[in-house]
Amino acid sequence: MWPTAVVQGGRSAWKGPFFVAFPNLKHALENNIAIKTQARSCTILPNFIGLRFMVHNGKDYVPVTVTQDMVGHKLGEFAITRKRFTYKATKNK
Amino acid sequence: MHVLGVLLPENQLVKHALTHFYGVGKTTALRLCARVQIHERCRVRNLNQSQVTALTAFLSSPANSPPVAPHALAAPNYIPPALGQPLPETEVPTPPDRLREIKIESDLRRQMRENIAHQRMIGSYVGRRHAMHLPVRGQNTQSNARTARKLNRVERYN
Repeated sequence: MWPTAVVQGGRSAWKGPFFVAFPNLKHALENNIAIKTQARSCTILPNFIGLRFMVHNGKDYVPVTVTQDMVGHKLGEFAITRKRFTYKATKNK
Repeated sequence: MHVLGVLLPENQLVKHALTHFYGVGKTTALRLCARVQIHERCRVRNLNQSQVTALTAFLSSPANSPPVAPHALAAPNYIPPALGQPLPETEVPTPPDRLREIKIESDLRRQMRENIAHQRMIGSYVGRRHAMHLPVRGQNTQSNARTARKLNRVERYN
């Protein structure tokens, strides 16, 4: 019922989306270089399509390839920060 | 009384009975009543045939309903025209009609399923949590999380 609210993600319209200005985007796109970043809250803009990112998840950098459908989401949504629980059998028993 | 396959209890006020539709809450129900000119204290059993028809017509396709003519509000210095004279035509900008954008029942369910499928397809955290039947917005999962386990699916129906 409130489409603008969904698009803006609860952010004021006059501010526009939050994003980080990455240097040499064009260079990275042409040479297929992954951009290493910790800016998980950066909104994926339409000119990021086709880029490869290495997004920090708190420990190491997770590869993310941006596609058309990801526009409007945040980079951090595609780099999970939690480790799946796995049961380890105890040794020395 | 059944409207579009939804049972509206005869004894209830129309504004309460309309909330039986999936996607219609208290506010939307009141606005619907105002749109099809049903009194706030009217009960379902007192609805006449034309009101039921108008309600059904509106709810079956809110987007295709006829637009409401906007009327200008009178300013303090407004002088009404003399009796018998027609009202002057004034240009009133049409306000956005949010009631025409509502989705109910199967349309709304389909939209929700599409949103989840979109999240799942692009591989975001929200999509993963739906697929794992776990809470999406950072709630605890050590205990409880029963609603998420019941409802969160990729093919969600309710």
